[in-house]
Amino acid sequence: MKFKTTLVALLTVLSLALSACGALGQAQPVTLRIGWAGSPDTLNPGAAVLTEAYTIFTLVYDTMYQLQLDGTFKLSLAESVNVSDDGLVYTYKIRDGVKFHDGQPLTAEDVVFSYLLYQNTEGYPWMGDYTYYFEKIEATPNNEVVITLSEPIPNIDAQLVFLYVLPKHIWENEDPVEFENFTAIGSGPFKMVEYKPNEFVHLAKNEDYFGGAPKVDEVIFQTFESQDALVQAIKTGQVDMITEMPNTAVETLKQDPNVEVVTGAPFAPSVTDIIFNQVLPENCPPDDGLCTGHPALLDRNVRLALSHATDKQKIIDVVLLGYGTPGITLIPDGLGIWFNSSLKDYEYDIAKANQILDDAGYKDVNGDGIRETPDGSRSLTFRINWPSDSIDSPRLAELLSEMWGQVGVKLEAQALDPDTLTSVCCPAFDFDIIIWGWGSDPDPNLLLSVMTTDEIPTGSSETGYSNPQYDELYRQQASELNLEKRRQLVWKMQEIVFNDVVYIIPYYSQNVQAYRKDRFTGFILDKPKVELSDVTSLIRVEPVR
Amino acid sequence: MAIQELELKPAVPASPLTGFWNVFRKNRMAVAGLAMLIVIVIAAVFADALAPYNPRSYAGIQASDIYQPPSAQHWFGTDDAGKDVFSSFIYGARNSLIVGFFAAFISIFIGGTFGVIAGFYGGRIENFLMRLTDTMLVIPDLPLIVIFVALTEPSLWNIILVIGLLGWTTTARIVRSQTLAVKSRKFVLRARAIGAGNWHIIVHHILPLVMPILVVNAILVISLAILSESTLAFLGLSDPLAISWGQMLNFAFGRGAMSVGAWWALVAPGFGIVWVVLALTLLGNGLEQVLNPRLEAHHLMPGKPTVQKEAGEAPSSQSPFARTPVVLDVQNLSVEYVNEGRPPARAVENVSFQLHEGEMMGLVGESGCGKTTLMMAVNRLLPSAGQIVGGKVLFNGVDLAAASDEQLADIRWSGISIIFQGAMNALNPVRTVGDQIAEAIRKHLPVESEAALEARVTELLELVGISAEHKDHYPHQYSGGMRQRAMIAMALSCSPQVVIADEPTTALDVMIQAQILELLDDLRRKLGLAVIFVTHDLGVVAEMCDTVLVMYGGVTAEYASVDTIYNSPRHPYTQELLKAFPDLSNPEKRLSSIPGYPPKLDALPAGCRFAPRCPLAFDRCKTELPRLHELGDGHIASCHLVENKYPRA
Amino acid sequence: MSRYRYLLKKSVWALLTILFVLVLNFFLFRILPGDPARALVRDPRMKAEAQEMLRVRFGLDKPVINCFETLTPLKLGDCRVNPLDTQFFIYIKNLFQGELGVSYKTNRPVADILGERLWNTILLIGAGQILSIVVGIAFGVFAAWKARTAIDYGALITGLVAWSLPTFWLGIILLFWGSAQGFPIGGKATPGTSTYPLLFQIGDVARHMFLPTLTYIIVFMGEYMLVMRSSLLDVLAEDYILTAKAKGLSALQILKDHAMKNAMLPIVTLIAINLGFTVAGAVQIEAVFSWPGLGGAIFEAVESRDYPLLQGTFLLIAVSVIIANLLADLTYSYLDPRVQEE
Repeated sequence: MKFKTTLVALLTVLSLALSACGALGQAQPVTLRIGWAGSPDTLNPGAAVLTEAYTIFTLVYDTMYQLQLDGTFKLSLAESVNVSDDGLVYTYKIRDGVKFHDGQPLTAEDVVFSYLLYQNTEGYPWMGDYTYYFEKIEATPNNEVVITLSEPIPNIDAQLVFLYVLPKHIWENEDPVEFENFTAIGSGPFKMVEYKPNEFVHLAKNEDYFGGAPKVDEVIFQTFESQDALVQAIKTGQVDMITEMPNTAVETLKQDPNVEVVTGAPFAPSVTDIIFNQVLPENCPPDDGLCTGHPALLDRNVRLALSHATDKQKIIDVVLLGYGTPGITLIPDGLGIWFNSSLKDYEYDIAKANQILDDAGYKDVNGDGIRETPDGSRSLTFRINWPSDSIDSPRLAELLSEMWGQVGVKLEAQALDPDTLTSVCCPAFDFDIIIWGWGSDPDPNLLLSVMTTDEIPTGSSETGYSNPQYDELYRQQASELNLEKRRQLVWKMQEIVFNDVVYIIPYYSQNVQAYRKDRFTGFILDKPKVELSDVTSLIRVEPVR
Repeated sequence: MAIQELELKPAVPASPLTGFWNVFRKNRMAVAGLAMLIVIVIAAVFADALAPYNPRSYAGIQASDIYQPPSAQHWFGTDDAGKDVFSSFIYGARNSLIVGFFAAFISIFIGGTFGVIAGFYGGRIENFLMRLTDTMLVIPDLPLIVIFVALTEPSLWNIILVIGLLGWTTTARIVRSQTLAVKSRKFVLRARAIGAGNWHIIVHHILPLVMPILVVNAILVISLAILSESTLAFLGLSDPLAISWGQMLNFAFGRGAMSVGAWWALVAPGFGIVWVVLALTLLGNGLEQVLNPRLEAHHLMPGKPTVQKEAGEAPSSQSPFARTPVVLDVQNLSVEYVNEGRPPARAVENVSFQLHEGEMMGLVGESGCGKTTLMMAVNRLLPSAGQIVGGKVLFNGVDLAAASDEQLADIRWSGISIIFQGAMNALNPVRTVGDQIAEAIRKHLPVESEAALEARVTELLELVGISAEHKDHYPHQYSGGMRQRAMIAMALSCSPQVVIADEPTTALDVMIQAQILELLDDLRRKLGLAVIFVTHDLGVVAEMCDTVLVMYGGVTAEYASVDTIYNSPRHPYTQELLKAFPDLSNPEKRLSSIPGYPPKLDALPAGCRFAPRCPLAFDRCKTELPRLHELGDGHIASCHLVENKYPRA
Repeated sequence: MSRYRYLLKKSVWALLTILFVLVLNFFLFRILPGDPARALVRDPRMKAEAQEMLRVRFGLDKPVINCFETLTPLKLGDCRVNPLDTQFFIYIKNLFQGELGVSYKTNRPVADILGERLWNTILLIGAGQILSIVVGIAFGVFAAWKARTAIDYGALITGLVAWSLPTFWLGIILLFWGSAQGFPIGGKATPGTSTYPLLFQIGDVARHMFLPTLTYIIVFMGEYMLVMRSSLLDVLAEDYILTAKAKGLSALQILKDHAMKNAMLPIVTLIAINLGFTVAGAVQIEAVFSWPGLGGAIFEAVESRDYPLLQGTFLLIAVSVIIANLLADLTYSYLDPRVQEE
């Protein structure tokens, strides 16, 4: 058709004209463009929730400690630290001569101001927790910060690592909750140039950074709504690095001579869990609890049989294309020393699973292919739910339905809106099984707390699991200052919940990232964790000559 | 306009259903749509038998099976979980169709109910329901759907409910207007008059007539529902375990199909959606054409060139009116309508007449006798199906039947203009009357200045008795009589030699009719126009015309001076027409109308066309078409009886 | 006189519709399950006080309206409370002050977010609408003029296929085609170029607009084409077209001076009605091409269940569509002189 060709010709001309505008013949700064699928929720460090925000904060602000890619902490803003013998008083000597991006000096006053702000602002979702044990925070004339704790804690470094130091001269005039902080004046290795929510974050190097100026002039984080678009963008060179991508892209991108694909444990640990409702009637939260869980799930034998009936390798193959490792407990392998590597997973064995259920008295009495409880009152039909914004969970649910069907367990699967899921989950306990997940701290404390009896009424405990021995160990590790002793306690706790089959952890997923090796070099790749956009990498990277 | 009546209507079907099918299968669009739909419905219904794999089973699937390209084992390749795309495609058809049909059912039910109630009861109920409809129509429904889905759990039935509950607005509007149209039909009024209840009328009289349009609308609503479902699935708001095409796309997008280049995982479900939506749209559009046959012919379609199929008899050398020079000489003109799939229909056959300066010729006959076709053929304004198949139209010596488009464009209006039935729709409703008159002048005459043009328009309007202040008014602001006068003014605007007045006074009241006719007669004498006056009012003809051409069934029945026609008509049709016309000199005379109807042009009788209705017909009339007999003084009649000594009535 | 009454009637009606939307908007979002403060973050460390702070901040501690404490779950309350101290009137009062609440996710005023994004959407929808209308009408006119020819059938089938394409699907296909041709596939402009020369920036935005606009044109062109074709076919069969032909006007003159204006009337209505559907199209296109507009805001709000943002976007879009409909009515009344008489 004549029209069609005309249209095509017109489009071609137009596109040529447009692409001609793209070239600009002047010397440009070295810019590292990073594509990601998210965007900071806010630039107010107290109010922020999303990982993307923390990535930016780490580049723009300084903290007392810096988390290394091997999972250890390193003093950053402080030159040295002095701990009192009782472990209650920490004295940090702040580096001299550190300046904010607007030229004002950073002193101990700013640090104290920031910490107090975090501690006293009620509208901050969780900064109060990091400062929970701080009884007193003071500055000394020697540019020192003195923190007095209410009780000794083993992990002050993990508390301070997210407490970004803000310029007092700016923040003292602002409402700590409402302040949008678009200019984000900090003291970190990069300074904010321009921020467009949901579009991009434009940073430039801080020449005066005490740890040495970054080697690239600018870093731009650009938001893409879809992961496929990210892959396309790095292929075509629109970005130099992507922080996430579909696992399907790994093989394709590996064949691209200009692209280096990196996989490894994520910087921020994330776990996918299969939650069993096992709250006992006596633990049912009096105010909010409905506690409608299937009674068979209270039986360890049933949970154990389901564990044996779960082919984790197949799940990893189908859901993650193999880029993951089978999970053991809520503490992921990405937590380094805290991960109990001595535990051996329940093997996938349908016969054994059937045997366990047979022995425990769960038999298919009525011959419909689904087992009944020993008293014959209910069949082993469980509701299974997951948040409807997850694209992998329905595949996982389908797989579980098929696998567990082989041992006479039936699943009624239903995706739920995340809000609805929250309201049935906890502390309502109005469910049987939920597929969900956790993202968390480098310190294991949070994930361990989830399984304590105390957290049942608060809504943090998803399973309703209650074990006095575990609760006691949790209290001990929370104040054990000796690293090795604490590690042993944490390992012991993992062993307990593993034996009790509190959760089934199908897998620990891996970070899959990529960068243009024809353009940039110097990323840190030899550490157990992979995070190309981490500050330690971004300071070092330089353009390929 | 009367000319459209000549377009052939479909023959009355034997039974409504077979008749429908006969028309339906001729509509290629509808048939293609139906075939496409049947294919996909079969796939959906027999999914269990047709699908080579169970779309829910992961048996034997390994990491290496994920996103494998099409092969002998997997015709459409495999998806993000290593499963067979073809199997999911077939099962997806099932869920997509379920969503489409059930959601559409809800929409149609609500929209249909609201539409019928609003249209039938009117008043406040209608006001309320239509306001509600309008409000719902402007509210963007996607955010609403999101909110509703968040309220409920994402299951297929909730999606159906939400799409159904938000998709009824267009249906309500369409059904309401159809109900309004049906409500005032005679049989409904009759049913009401004999005391039928509202419910009875709705169920038995309104619904059957609303149903066809509802079916067409339903088909389009189904396709919209299927598109909506796929959008919701793409936004992650549908049930991930219900395999639908939208859901397949959701998984393909969400789980990196494009990154690995697995086009099949995207193309297959997308193709399914396009296929079924296209099928439904084709079927819907086709059905609409079948149920509501709109003439897809229009006035800008190129006309067919004149051909000379046969030479007619030599026309009469005499004319019933020969006082002035001839301006228009029509010789043996024949016109056919050619419609695809049907034999050509002779609308005008072998008609000849002459028009002289200052002559007014009456063209009479019942509706459907070819009067309008003849007039349109003269000016080559036939619809695209019409074709001159013989004869000449000589205007000042130029044969219009063979003239080029440019020649025609020049002669139209400046040589021959037409007074259409202005009370109808012959004036453009969105342009002022003065503007439309000026347009004709600008086209044909040299215009010195805008002011002169304005003055000329004013002059013309005043000539027909319309004051200048109405010049810039729109046609709808005119009364019927004024519109007709304006039409006359427009016809005279380029000082034509011939004016064709095509039933210029139908649909006007008697007083206005008389005024208009007087005006026309007056102008003719003043300006020396030749006028062809098309009418079935014999009284007016007697009063105003010089000559009369009586047409029946496309042929000349009789052609003579007005005196001859009224005093010594020779054709039985003329005689019957005159009987039906009140004679002022003999008021006692009984008026009689002619029983029966003129013949259909595609089913003309073999012999004389008037024979079936002729009180004097004999055997020969049924087999042999009478010749045109010259009876002297230009008097022509086509009747076998004229050959014998025909007694005067 | 009558035109003013017509305009007045239409404006009053638009105003009533807006009020209806305001009320609907409020109650719809109060029926939603889950406490917004709880849904804010799924983090156990959020203390009860902090949650309470959020509830106060979002006004969720007040009764919904007189006699109703909450709607989900339905809890009756005191009927004698000061109506000005209920969530409903706080909502209305805030609206009049241009406050649309605070986004759960980003903690920013919704009005600010919408303000940034509105213009991007207007740019995209504007360009897309204008081009699809122009292209659609051009093809539709040509098809109707050449009715029953190969051109007509070709155009008809093209239009129907275009109409049948799922927007997001076409978007993704074009994204991959376009990225191979070197077109940018995300955002409105290349980040970090805001200090470059204006000409560069215009070209840059145009390059970024190319793919989304192309998707938009293909999807919407079909419908305009089909409607224009059918509308023009109706008009061309009208008696006044025959009159015009009898006047000796050429086909082009008739099309231009007699047919187009009349045939455009249904298009004007369609454009206005379509704006509601356009939003759905924009959501998909903006989501696919990461275009920072209102549609993208809806997409993000849906993903993160950010109800205040969703609510604000819904309100803004609904009101825009209502106003656009009003404008279409006014345009109609100028195009068609008969309207005044109704």
